[in-house]
Amino acid sequence: MRYENIQILVLSTAALFILVTGFIIYFVILYRNKQIRNKQEKEQLQARYSQEILRAQIEMQDQTLNYISGEIHDNITQVLSFVKLSLAMPANLTENDRQLKINESRELIGQTINDLRDLSKSLSYEHITSLGLLKTIEIEVERIKKSGLLNVTFLFEGEPYSLGSQPELVLFRIFQEALNNTLKHASAKHLKISLQYFNHLFNLTLEDDGDGFSKKLLYDQSGSGLKNIENRAALIGAVATIESSPGNGCCIKVTLNPLEQQVYADGNYSNSPG
Amino acid sequence: MSIIIHTSEILMLIVAIIGITRYSILNNPFKILTLSAIASLVIDILSDIFNTKYGTNAPVLHVEALTEFVFYALVYYYLFDSQRTKKAIIVSVIGVSVFSVINALFLQPFHSVFPTYVNLPTLALLVIFSLLLFKQMLLSPLTTPLLKQGVFWFNTAIIFYGTTMFLNIGLSNVYIRNPSTDYLIFYFWYAILYIFTILIGIALLTDNNKITSTNAL
Repeated sequence: MRYENIQILVLSTAALFILVTGFIIYFVILYRNKQIRNKQEKEQLQARYSQEILRAQIEMQDQTLNYISGEIHDNITQVLSFVKLSLAMPANLTENDRQLKINESRELIGQTINDLRDLSKSLSYEHITSLGLLKTIEIEVERIKKSGLLNVTFLFEGEPYSLGSQPELVLFRIFQEALNNTLKHASAKHLKISLQYFNHLFNLTLEDDGDGFSKKLLYDQSGSGLKNIENRAALIGAVATIESSPGNGCCIKVTLNPLEQQVYADGNYSNSPG
Repeated sequence: MSIIIHTSEILMLIVAIIGITRYSILNNPFKILTLSAIASLVIDILSDIFNTKYGTNAPVLHVEALTEFVFYALVYYYLFDSQRTKKAIIVSVIGVSVFSVINALFLQPFHSVFPTYVNLPTLALLVIFSLLLFKQMLLSPLTTPLLKQGVFWFNTAIIFYGTTMFLNIGLSNVYIRNPSTDYLIFYFWYAILYIFTILIGIALLTDNNKITSTNAL
């Protein structure tokens, strides 16, 4: 009887010890695997973020170069050619007419100098870093107003704060993408741009009165620019909502919580027990 | 036998000292764990005194069964993220407290009977809490190596203590009329206590609010 009791005691105790130890070892292995998988996912996310930032920079440089080359070709070259022709004065002109032509040419050259100065302020990644998103968008708005392509209303609310150079770059690319869509495809007459800086919320809204489009377009190949806006917003932890229907214009709104956005870039958020 | 009992008390004293010296850098749940180690030490000493003076330590064991559960449940309360689990813990603490009083007065009189009716359900509850916490840990792992996380050691201590002590109480009930196995159950009891106390000590040694607060993956 005594031997049997001891045997049962020892066996049941040993079985339980093995079971608990086995469970703990299994948990340690599972946890380690999860740690490795999460680390890899985080690295992939960071790599994607860096790639997207680089892509946004390259796209901005391309857009800037296109804009500068367009300006040189369509504006500066034309004005300077006109000045050249104007200064090749026939010999029979009176002194008075000569003076008139010279004054006219001086004015045109002065205007060209101003245009060149504006060109030197063309938008680039460095501009967003030094001027900030608000000022950069303001410059872009002025440029569109000057071109006369659209009637633009620009509004901003709240006390502006920095969202970080990389998120601001992404936001500016979203703004450019939305603007390009309006200019190229919307046939809009009026565009309303608004920026709202609240305590823990930032909003960027672009609203046009153009042709609009059906929601289906978002999922078509032709709507890749709009899909790009949503993807880029998600990359910095923002949410982009695109509302449109045929004949009713389009409204693109990007909402960002500045406190949460960095999770996507460096994963430094707290989630500790206790 | 008294050497075995005193060794257990010395181990608990060392754990309490570890907790006190590292108190300022511990996370809230581990501060509570330090308090529970101090309480356990005081209760163990009182238990010795009661045994010597009155021939029974049953009243102290009734208090110990309840305080032990309340402290560990509180630790879990701070470790869980889920609000629903936190509520369940509060409900369980209230339920166990009420039942302990009823048990001490009517079912297993506090002056003479060991409170197994309280011990068994509380041990089962602690095992459930530890399994839930293991699940939570798997869902949101930290970058810190597992063996350097106080939470892991505490949870391991509880699952080990909960299961083995449950078995031990069960075996004690089965072999209550077999004095031949008494000494084995006694050694088993103290082996569990030694391992449990050492694991709690490691938990208090490894926990650090600076490491765990920023290392989520």
